[in-house]
Amino acid sequence: MNVAAVVALVVTQQTDTTVPVRAGMRLDVENFGGEIVVRAWNQNSVRVQATHSSRDRIDVSAERTTVNVRAESRRGLAQMVEYQITAPTWMPLNLHGVSTDIEVDGTQAAITAETVQGELKVRGGSGQLSLKSVQGAVKLQNAKGHIDVYSVNEGLTLENVNGDISAETVSGDVTLQGIESANVEVNTVSGDVHYDGTIKDGGHYRFATHNGDVTLAVPERANVTVSVATFNGDFDSCFPVSVTTTTKHRFSFTIGSGSARLELETFNGDIKLCRPGQLHDKHHDDQEDN
Amino acid sequence: MTRDQWTDRLSEYLDGDLGIAERAALEAHVASCPACEAILAELRRVVARAQAIDDQPPTTDLWPAIAQQIGVSSGGEPHGVVSLAARRARRRLSFTVPQLAAAAAVLLLLGSGGAYLTLQRGTSPVPPLPAPIAGARTGRGPTTTLVGWEKTRAKYDVAVAELESALEQGRKSGRLDSATVRVLDQSLVTIDSAIVQARRALAADPGSVYLNQHLADTMRRKLELLRRASAFAPART
Repeated sequence: MNVAAVVALVVTQQTDTTVPVRAGMRLDVENFGGEIVVRAWNQNSVRVQATHSSRDRIDVSAERTTVNVRAESRRGLAQMVEYQITAPTWMPLNLHGVSTDIEVDGTQAAITAETVQGELKVRGGSGQLSLKSVQGAVKLQNAKGHIDVYSVNEGLTLENVNGDISAETVSGDVTLQGIESANVEVNTVSGDVHYDGTIKDGGHYRFATHNGDVTLAVPERANVTVSVATFNGDFDSCFPVSVTTTTKHRFSFTIGSGSARLELETFNGDIKLCRPGQLHDKHHDDQEDN
Repeated sequence: MTRDQWTDRLSEYLDGDLGIAERAALEAHVASCPACEAILAELRRVVARAQAIDDQPPTTDLWPAIAQQIGVSSGGEPHGVVSLAARRARRRLSFTVPQLAAAAAVLLLLGSGGAYLTLQRGTSPVPPLPAPIAGARTGRGPTTTLVGWEKTRAKYDVAVAELESALEQGRKSGRLDSATVRVLDQSLVTIDSAIVQARRALAADPGSVYLNQHLADTMRRKLELLRRASAFAPART
């Protein structure tokens, strides 16, 4: 055992606290550095396990509507805490970090998760879901509700998600797979956009990038009016389309009754439409190539 | 973009302001005129996007300060202030075709007004509100004018400068760590590069609705990033 390991053993401390909760309460966690991992269970209590410096103290307080989890240090804000938290599936989560990775698994409630430097991985969630990171990828799976995901410098991935979706990043790809939604808005400045999901009658879908390609799976029976705009790029479709209106950088066409509205835009990039199976195969091949 | 006698009537058509005979004549014309059909499609898209812009109230209630400045009581329901829902319900936008491209851009940029207001918290002086869309009207009347794109952009430039200043303060005070600053700088360069490209393209083709929209969208994205970055600044305090 080297000196560093001995020192680490000396300064590291474990905290394990469980507090009872009741319906209507929410969990609120703030962390500066480290990680926050929340897993769901079917008990009406919150268990907080934390690994932290012996100079820090973990404060778990259950108030009327909120369970607050904070770390305090004699020198002010605790610098590095690894949280493993277990909370009821029904409990809304409010998780904030600075240099913190955040992971949530199995919850069936609303989630707000924000970090400056760190990844966000969420499996589950229902209702209002807001996931934001500056320097870190955001991945959301198996969720439903009103979804808002944002990153500044990394990609966004949504899989098997049901509900209204807003996804935006500055530099990064946005990939949406297995989406069930009538309202999707995706924006990136530098990155590709990939969508494979429903096109519902009367729905509104907008996918835009400045530097990047837009690829989209259009289901066989979709009824959608498609608007395509590109400045430096090509349009390609795996199935025939009949263009109805054209201006210099934009054209439109209708599939089926055209009741949904689909806007596809890229300044520097190509736009490609395929059928769901075709697009999945192509996207998979592209990922393997990379 | 070619123009004919019907081109300037398209917005009236969309507003339902044409008589039965004129409406039928216009529809017959549009059916045989690809240019008018395309313009009508663009108009519909702009109007749809305008109607979709959320009238979100700022996080801080600005009305008391505004009321104080204009010398009216801030108690109770402000006189002359209509509810957002009511305003949205009656929102109608009329554009003449030459205004269309600028209208699209202005509408998108106005979406940043909320971000601008949100930054001005607490008791700080009330910032100038984003220019209203003079093109919004509630009934028949002369073709309305649109607040100039340049005027709106000037307000945008002020907002960007203020946010950049706030970000700079965050840098100098050390509230933003160096890695975060690098990422934000890199992202701002990415957006600025996109803005430059869009401006160049627009200079070559000023009538393009897509390019106007794209430029405004990208500028709005910069504002949004700056607003978020300014919010990150106190994260370490």
